[in-house]
Amino acid sequence: MTELEAKIRTEAARLLSEGLVDVVVAFRKEDAPLRPQPAFFTNVEDLENLVYNGLCANNLANYLTRFPQETRIGMLVRGCENRSVNALVVEKQHSREKLTLIGIPCTGIIDWRKVVALTGEDILAYEDSAHTLTVRARHQTFALPRQELLHSSCLRCVHPNPLSADILLGEMLPEGDPALIRERVESFEALTRAERTAYFKQEAERCIRCYACREACPMCYCEECFVDHNTPRWTESGTTPAGTHAWHIIRAFHQTGRCTSCGACERACPMDIQMTYLTDKLGKDMWDSYQFAAGMDDQTQPPFASFTLDDKKHFQVGGKQS
Amino acid sequence: MKYILPKHELNALLERWSAEYAVLAPQKAGAYSEFLPFTAPSELCLEEPHNTRYPPKALFFPQSEAILKYKQNLGQLESIEAVPQKRVIFGIRPCDAKAVTLLDTVFAEGDNQDPFWLARRAETLLIGLGCNEPGATCFCTSTESGPFHTDGLDALLTDLGGEYLIELLSERAVGLFGGLTPANPTQQESVQNLQQAAEQALPKAFELDGLKDKLDRVFDQDVWAQLSESCLGCGICTFLCPTCFCFDLVDEAQRDTRVRNWDTCMFRVYSLEASAHNPRPTRKERTRQRLMHKYSYWWEHAGKLGCTGCGRCVRYCPVGLDIRAMLRKASAYESEALHAN
Repeated sequence: MTELEAKIRTEAARLLSEGLVDVVVAFRKEDAPLRPQPAFFTNVEDLENLVYNGLCANNLANYLTRFPQETRIGMLVRGCENRSVNALVVEKQHSREKLTLIGIPCTGIIDWRKVVALTGEDILAYEDSAHTLTVRARHQTFALPRQELLHSSCLRCVHPNPLSADILLGEMLPEGDPALIRERVESFEALTRAERTAYFKQEAERCIRCYACREACPMCYCEECFVDHNTPRWTESGTTPAGTHAWHIIRAFHQTGRCTSCGACERACPMDIQMTYLTDKLGKDMWDSYQFAAGMDDQTQPPFASFTLDDKKHFQVGGKQS
Repeated sequence: MKYILPKHELNALLERWSAEYAVLAPQKAGAYSEFLPFTAPSELCLEEPHNTRYPPKALFFPQSEAILKYKQNLGQLESIEAVPQKRVIFGIRPCDAKAVTLLDTVFAEGDNQDPFWLARRAETLLIGLGCNEPGATCFCTSTESGPFHTDGLDALLTDLGGEYLIELLSERAVGLFGGLTPANPTQQESVQNLQQAAEQALPKAFELDGLKDKLDRVFDQDVWAQLSESCLGCGICTFLCPTCFCFDLVDEAQRDTRVRNWDTCMFRVYSLEASAHNPRPTRKERTRQRLMHKYSYWWEHAGKLGCTGCGRCVRYCPVGLDIRAMLRKASAYESEALHAN
């Protein structure tokens, strides 16, 4: 057990035993190698199964909408999870008073596929430390530089620290460089229209419409998704180009001003489809047009969800231009 | 009979087949491998410890397939003919080949004679490649299969380093290979040792004996809520599964086409009825359905287990759910909780 894991267990045990929360949402020891599972802890004894390391890959804020509004939830949050929680609170998906956020400054999520590509699947044990992931495989032990294993969204992370945690465990980290995410979007913008189309098609057309991206996303909580609606049906049903294009375009633009760039969609995708180039582009547009970034607090409505008489109407003939 | 094929002769063989057949083999597709028309030996992925990410069932039962054309206003129907394709599927793993035979019980038995399935099955040869080192997420030996099982195969290849040992299993395969050198006793013995070692290296994932009865007995128990609490409700486990076969029929009215798409019991809308009632309202009932179907209902419907232990659902579950552990937990629950009372 690491020092941080011990601290998390202690806090979780305190919250549960003092009756401050009904459930603690965190991670449980894995069954399959490298894959700790999201878990709901309701009793102190079960906390011996709680784990925390860089392979805890899911955005736990995704589980917020599973619980009734009155449930008092203790939740482990890293930078992106805290921002997702904020965005959900803004959208009134849970009341902030019912949440106890256990914050952890995040050193980045390790992409298990990058690990397995180097070590093979037969992993007996591993240890995640500050700079190195040590993996004991069946035939060999590997000491891998952590930075090279991080998920691509984590490499571009701007806010690794939880912004509004109630309890903070671990040392605050320096902020990330906002230029990294911007440069990636700009390199996509710089492509010709034909190149952008080709890239979009190459990614979207591998889609098997399993909707893991949707289900892993904290912000995709609609009772009925547009693709599941059938009176009328909004998109073609199958894995045809028309069907997959529609899914990827509409999924992305429903995230405008809401996506916190956590990358959970790409981590869940079984076909390695890139999706954050679209949502990060929308994030950049929101910043450039409205100086708004999703999840920075739990009060401010996203620009497209609010209305004021001063709104820009530059898309409207005779509308206000700035 | 068992024969030897030096690895350096594989390319010529695949090229020879290509003259008469569409040859499909696991080839590189980004970071993973996929059954694609054979292009070049450098593109082949035969060394990986396990199978392709996307299941080869799609080669017989595509994820989306047009099955009927119609003219809505005129009431005219135009059937789409199933076209037989002469194909060789090379390098399929034993778990995936066995899965095809399980799907025969759905699409090609009794009254169920699916013309699209039958047409593709009739003209396709399955040439398997055994697994010298099954992956950590593989569990075929726990599911009545194994890394060198031959169910559904026309021939099985075993990798001996510099050459393949080939076991011919059908008349058609004899014609396909032809003129090979018989394996000598030393080679036969080393294959036997290798195959045994691979089988033994796989630990038993769960006790299959009596599992169906145990699952049946915990059908209405809370254990399913615990097992499914972190499930996202996505379709990865079922879409990547080589034996899942559920489909939905959709009329794509703007294209005048009736389409058959894969469907999955893990989706809320799968069991949603027109009245808005849903007999499987939460992930608990849907997770239970997935496991019970494979480990209980298949026995009832087909007298067979509906899982071949390929491990894809374990490997690619975005929340790390592992069907082996889920079965162990359900089984333990039956032994402990139910019998305690």
